[in-house]
Amino acid sequence: MEVNGQLALTVLMGLFLVAVAAWLARVENWRSYTPVAGGGAFGQKDSYGSEEKPSGVIRWLTTVDHKDIGILYGAYGLIAFAVGGLMVVVMRIELIDPGMSLISNTFYNSLLTSHGITMLFLFGTPIIAAFSNYLVPLLIGADDMAFPRINAIAFWLLPPAALLIWAGFFPLPDVIPAQTAWTMYTPLSTGAGAGNQANAGVDLMLLGLHLSGVSATMGAINFIATIFTERGDDVSWANLDIFSWTILTQSGLILFAFPLLGSAIVMLLFDRNFGTAFFSGEGGAILWQHLFWFFGHPEVYILVLPPMGIVSYVIPRFSGRRLFGFKFVVYSTLAIGVLSFGVWAHHMFATGMDPRLRASFMAVSLAIAIPSAVKTFNWITTMWNGRVRLTTPMLFSVGFVSNFIIGGVTGVFLASIPVDLVLHDTYYVVGHFHYVVMGAIAFAGFSGLYYWFPLYTGRMYQKTLGKAHFWLSMIGTNITFFAMILLGYGGMPRRYATFLPQFATLHQLATVGALLLLVGQIIFVWNFVQSWLEGPEIEDGDPWNLRQSGLYTAEWDWFDQKQQTAIADGGDPDDETALTDGGHVDEPADDRSDA
Amino acid sequence: MDAEPGLSEQYRMASPWPLFIALGIPIAELGILFSLFPIAVGGLLLFGGSVAGMATESGYAKTPWRGLIGVAAPLAVLGLAFMFTRIGLPNRGLAIVAAAVILVAAGVAGMLFSPDREPTY
Ligand code: HEM
Ligand SMILES: [Cu+2]
Repeated sequence: MEVNGQLALTVLMGLFLVAVAAWLARVENWRSYTPVAGGGAFGQKDSYGSEEKPSGVIRWLTTVDHKDIGILYGAYGLIAFAVGGLMVVVMRIELIDPGMSLISNTFYNSLLTSHGITMLFLFGTPIIAAFSNYLVPLLIGADDMAFPRINAIAFWLLPPAALLIWAGFFPLPDVIPAQTAWTMYTPLSTGAGAGNQANAGVDLMLLGLHLSGVSATMGAINFIATIFTERGDDVSWANLDIFSWTILTQSGLILFAFPLLGSAIVMLLFDRNFGTAFFSGEGGAILWQHLFWFFGHPEVYILVLPPMGIVSYVIPRFSGRRLFGFKFVVYSTLAIGVLSFGVWAHHMFATGMDPRLRASFMAVSLAIAIPSAVKTFNWITTMWNGRVRLTTPMLFSVGFVSNFIIGGVTGVFLASIPVDLVLHDTYYVVGHFHYVVMGAIAFAGFSGLYYWFPLYTGRMYQKTLGKAHFWLSMIGTNITFFAMILLGYGGMPRRYATFLPQFATLHQLATVGALLLLVGQIIFVWNFVQSWLEGPEIEDGDPWNLRQSGLYTAEWDWFDQKQQTAIADGGDPDDETALTDGGHVDEPADDRSDA
Repeated sequence: MDAEPGLSEQYRMASPWPLFIALGIPIAELGILFSLFPIAVGGLLLFGGSVAGMATESGYAKTPWRGLIGVAAPLAVLGLAFMFTRIGLPNRGLAIVAAAVILVAAGVAGMLFSPDREPTY
């Protein structure tokens, strides 16, 4: 670019910075400079917290309140889920017939890559952060996260990350989407060879991924600090709830796994742009696989542990009894956390690595199934002889257990070297991990979204629609992914836009399942939005009747007190705009504002 | 436990800085990776300025001025490393150093001329 281009960029950048400065100067005005320590300096009004929150969009852009940030994460995660879901719907439609029909093979590969990365990094991690941000401080009796501003930074890194990851799909000149698949194996991803992966779209995607990793790491540090230092007086390690335990373990895993991914990505970017040869030289391909999977396997547990926490939290509430063997559920969480760093090479059995090394990875991989099984048995025994209430959140949790069993058992088979050498890189693997990521992780997400719906909206969802959502998801998941397991047995390789005619029936079945899933999720979106806006308001702080069975928990207690304060203050329930915008209430009006 | 509503309301629940810190990082990264000098400098200024602003706001510093210099120091080291070590990316290093120099200048100017605290740019 010549001088002119540089000049234009400089002017644009300068204007942008001036605009930011001007905006900041204005925003600083609404702030009553309350001294950080100790209110009261300006008289009574000072104890009114909502004074400190601006209204409208600005409030969401500037909030550092953990509950607001939780809601932002949730909205972000659900939007990403929709994007990733629609991408895969296009792919499944393409796969109805064996040839190339609807979209080109390269576009299929682009969607494949983006679907995986979107679901894992832009949906999975953020939707978990939605629950942990909203709930952990409430559950452990903390005022907020240990570092509220860092918390906001971690969230705001994500929208730019998404834009970068999807940049290849935008109409930018000379930029095409990455087609490296989510594992980004070298030498393809170094841009070597005659392909088109030297394109800047891949660089943008890598930068976006890097950002999402920085975000996750910041969040993890924050959760570790919060759970260690901000617990209330009556919350000890012995009575820390199961969800916070899983978040703590997950944060530990993130702390060791994500910085490694970040460094590997920077090295890859150097290979692509600055002529280094970390991964393009001899042995580089294997080096990348080791680094990637040293991150990648813990990543799958980063994604599954907190959903296990949600399920361990929800199942007892609707079984009328405490979690069976609570201690062992915690121990198995910690055991999984440690073991998950010792199994990564089970993704590389087919690379020709040293057989002795391979055998040891097989042993640890089989061992990690044990703590997973411990949890499964604990969930089942919790329900055994309990007073089971099949509410929507409970249905999704039970569905989690059911799907996790299939996902886990197929995993154990893959962990066995001789079996894996046959099934590696087939649809069997795709079926295995989708039973876990869709059938279990997404199900737990829905379970939590329904269970705490009254907490964060003050309203109730429509039960019939919730059940329809569950059954369509459960049947759709099992049709789609069981068909994939069978396809894998038949030898259908993964990551192809076309296939041999003999696989057509099972592929069509998988597509039917995916369309059922789509219908289910459309119902979910309708139910979620409509109920948030117009659902019946919750009057008391115990919408699930937990007090009766002695299973009442801290977050509902907080909710209950919030309800009562609102009423005591004469807060007319219909007067919600006043609560939000007027801000002169002694109560966090925040979660109601979007009601 | 007592999660008294209203308890957490005693401290500020809004801050304009995190958003801009989060914007500064990707802008700077893009500028450095694709060697777009003004973008790199601008992103780093946005980042550095917001860090200093946030440190002031949250009570870690009385004024943002020293914070600006504090952010500039590691940037200068990184930029010089880009320019003069085997990394060998002089243009990009220059952008990083330039951002550091501007941050230092802003910090020094602030210390000398500002009567009281003011948001950085
Ligand atoms: C019961 C414990 C588990 C075992 C023993 C296990 C084992 C395996 C093995 C051996 C593979 C490699 C298959 C191949 O590429 O040939 C694999 C792939 C995979 N597993 Fe699991 N797994 C388990 C649980 C999970 C869980 C809980 C998740 C998700 C949260 C998960 C997600 C994945 C993913 C995403 C892949 C595919 C990665 C790729 O190549 O793109 N697995 N699993
Ligand atoms: Cu694995």
